[in-house]
Amino acid sequence: MNPEKDTESLALTPAMFQVLLALGDEEKHGYAILKDVEEQTNGDVRLSTGTLYAIIKRLVIEGAIKECRNRPPADEDDQRRRYYRLTPAGRDLAVAEAERMERLVATAREKHLLRRLRTA
Amino acid sequence: MQESKAPWSDRVYSSLLRLFPFDFRQDYESEMEEVFREQRLQAASTKTGLLRLWWETISGVFRTAPAEHLSILGQDTRYALRTLRKNPGYAMVAVFTLALGIGASSAIVSVVAAVLLRPLPYQDDAQLVVLHQSASKATQNEVLFSVPEIQDYRAQTSAFSSLVEYHSMRFTLYSRDEAARVRAGVVSPGFFGMFGVKPILGRDLNEGDDQPGAPAVLLLSYEYWKQHCTGDPNIVGRVFQMNDRVHTVVGVLPPVPQYPDENDVYMPTSACPFRGMPALQADRNGHMMSLFARLKEGRTPEQASADLRVVAARLEEHYPKFYPAQLGFTAGAGLLRNELTTHARITLWVLLAASACLLLIACANVANLTLARMSARERELTVRTALGAGKGRLLRQLATESLMIGLAAAVLGVFLASQSLHLLAAFTASLTSRAREIHMDSTVLLVALAVAVGTSMVFGSISALHSRDDIAGGMKDGAPHSTAGRSRHRTRSLLVVCQIAFSMVLLIGAGLLLRSLLKLQQVDPGFVPNRVLAVKMDLNWSKYPRPEQRRELGRRVLEAIQSLPGILSAALSSSYPLDRDNVIGEGNDEFRIEGQPLRGGLPRTGVVRAATVDYFKTLGIRLLEGRSFDPSDSDESALVAVINQSMARHYWSNESAIGHRISFDNGQKWNRIVGVVADVHEFGPQKPVGDEAYLAYAQYPTLSTLLIRADGAPTLLANQVRRAIRNVDVQTAIASVRTMEEARQDAVSSPRVLANLLAIFAALALVIAAAGVGGMLALAVNQRWHEIGIRIALGAQPNTVVRMIVRQGMTLVVSGLAVGVLAASALTRLMRSLLFEVTPFDPATFAAVALTLAGVALTACYLPARRALDVDPLQALRGE
Repeated sequence: MNPEKDTESLALTPAMFQVLLALGDEEKHGYAILKDVEEQTNGDVRLSTGTLYAIIKRLVIEGAIKECRNRPPADEDDQRRRYYRLTPAGRDLAVAEAERMERLVATAREKHLLRRLRTA
Repeated sequence: MQESKAPWSDRVYSSLLRLFPFDFRQDYESEMEEVFREQRLQAASTKTGLLRLWWETISGVFRTAPAEHLSILGQDTRYALRTLRKNPGYAMVAVFTLALGIGASSAIVSVVAAVLLRPLPYQDDAQLVVLHQSASKATQNEVLFSVPEIQDYRAQTSAFSSLVEYHSMRFTLYSRDEAARVRAGVVSPGFFGMFGVKPILGRDLNEGDDQPGAPAVLLLSYEYWKQHCTGDPNIVGRVFQMNDRVHTVVGVLPPVPQYPDENDVYMPTSACPFRGMPALQADRNGHMMSLFARLKEGRTPEQASADLRVVAARLEEHYPKFYPAQLGFTAGAGLLRNELTTHARITLWVLLAASACLLLIACANVANLTLARMSARERELTVRTALGAGKGRLLRQLATESLMIGLAAAVLGVFLASQSLHLLAAFTASLTSRAREIHMDSTVLLVALAVAVGTSMVFGSISALHSRDDIAGGMKDGAPHSTAGRSRHRTRSLLVVCQIAFSMVLLIGAGLLLRSLLKLQQVDPGFVPNRVLAVKMDLNWSKYPRPEQRRELGRRVLEAIQSLPGILSAALSSSYPLDRDNVIGEGNDEFRIEGQPLRGGLPRTGVVRAATVDYFKTLGIRLLEGRSFDPSDSDESALVAVINQSMARHYWSNESAIGHRISFDNGQKWNRIVGVVADVHEFGPQKPVGDEAYLAYAQYPTLSTLLIRADGAPTLLANQVRRAIRNVDVQTAIASVRTMEEARQDAVSSPRVLANLLAIFAALALVIAAAGVGGMLALAVNQRWHEIGIRIALGAQPNTVVRMIVRQGMTLVVSGLAVGVLAASALTRLMRSLLFEVTPFDPATFAAVALTLAGVALTACYLPARRALDVDPLQALRGE
């Protein structure tokens, strides 16, 4: 039995979900993830380095993300950076969370707690 | 020096990262530094941006770092529990061994803390002193104070802000129809104020109470109020009859430990029938009070002592009749805190050292066990390293396991300590009155916890240090052959040497005390204690003021007792050998010998006791010359005395003492010596026998003790005796009943308990050390399996193999013994004052202990060595 792997099922915090979302389109390094989270929340969520790497560590242990070996071309690369990408399990996790939220939003609408989606 | 060129903000950030666990840093440190650098560059454009970045970063670190530590601790704990469950034998032995050490040391540390280290439970205890006078040349170490002396010290010293007197007496307190014997403290009015103690009910004693002729008043102790007055809140104003006077309760004291004695009630000096006598108040020789004082702000006990010495010198000068220069009369003061614990100090330090020894042995043993286990776990650790666990992480894991064992041992140790603390407290009570302050409290828990964490650090780090090097090499190599294996073996050998050495120290300490105890028990007490009952009586003195009344009472009591069945003989006396109340006196009664001038003007002192006809017969004291008392010695016949052998030898070495005369009242009346009896150890076997004289009870009727020799078990008589005495006089209270055998056992009880405690520690140490040597050799045999097999295959004799292994173990044992002898010689001298007729370097004890330890160790070595003979050479060769 591997003691490094925590066997408890993963409870996704909003910040963890944001990190999964940030990695949803492509692999990114730590700083890029921070910037992405900030942008995708219009600056509402700003992760500190400590929080970010605690989340990365947890997601890596859970197998939701992994460090990727493909690095950008040498002229764009910085050896100190590490790049992360979603694993299929991580993608499933993010999808499940997004769907759960979608259901919540739908329920909120049914209860008239939220206005209908405006069509463009 | 690239690092020093990094901007200060990056350096600050790097130091902040140190708050994260080692493993976390190893994985992410450089990456985090890089991200922070990029964040900083971006935020640098605005001042608020930078401030915000710092705020977020710092709060992020403080939020996440503890969580990371906790999560690792949780994992490690779960893993450690799983590992220990898989190895219950190791876990149990380690926990139990450590628990013994932790239990013993935390119990003793709490006793030492309560008795020696904690301040007294009084206001500013560092200012409280005890005064003492001594006549060093008259071998009187302690002379109590008389009223004129108290007045002199009060008037002529300036070091004290207050100076109060104290003495304790037993009186009978009558309330309604009950007679209760109480211990009464007789004190100056400012006594409790000086200690900072305020009554919880009513008021303190005041100056008015102390005036001659003032109405008699009482302060009750909290315990007496609770137990005998059912904690009655309206007790103030209740009256009791005592010493033929009406005493009114004016207050109740709070529940504080009372020093120097635990009294039931307190009264002002004017109310004490003895202290109140005008004759005593004028008598410079009426030494019966103790003095306590509070130092003025900024004064030291040394300054106070100097002050007192000046007054004593002045007294010597002004009253040469009372303080002849030859007496060496002087006075001084010592801190109350120290004086109360003088007798306990060495004993408690010895016990503390012994428990520390036991703890160290236990620690060494567990470290050894852990190292042995490390060999077995080498592969597991290597595999975990290969799977990516960092070195720091593994060390942390091992430390967690050690800590789990330590904490489990602490829990068990605290349980053991709680079970033994009341025994220790009872033992300490025989040494100091501060023993009452010993109880199970947070100190025990904290000490146990600290010791547990400390020891797990010690044995954990020993094993961790040795695993550090293994982790890399373990995979490719079998453990026994690796460098780390060898270094571990060296450490284990060293630990075994330490265990043997510490055990040797403990065994020698215990051996010396046991030998000393044996010698104490072999001392002939001078009387035959078997089947003798000693009953202390307290009569209502005001009912029997005249000698003939007391003579008559004595006659009736003896008659009533002698008519009981099963009694061989009975006697009355003023005290008895080994009487607890008598031990304080230590034979300070003065006497004169006719025709022999005072030597150097010093009074002669000894024990003087009044006794009835059958006293010597009842106690079995041998008559050596002349006669004992007989019925013809009456108040009308000539005064007689019987003396002990020491006194006869002392003053009439070349002739018979019979017929010579001695006086006990400064030559007013003379008693003719009619007999010489054997010496009796009046104050315990360790105290030398002094001069002793016996007077005929009929001529000096001071009744206080009834001695009975029974033809069966004396304790069975106790109730009949009580009834018989009550039938004679219902107001005569029985203060205590004990057998002379008990008295004799009590006299050596504290050396006995100390010897037994140390013997228990030493026995445990012996078992642990033997298990240590045996265990180490067993492992060595396992590891050298192949080598032994090859040796046997090549024709080595079984005996040679056994000898080789035993020699390996015994080399360590002998080194341990040598270190132990050296350490013991350095340490046992501290015990000198605890030993009786045994020197701290007693060769017999040293030799006996070394032989015992060597013998036990030899057996412990032989058993695993025998197993070497089971090695099948074929199998061993196949393994190669």
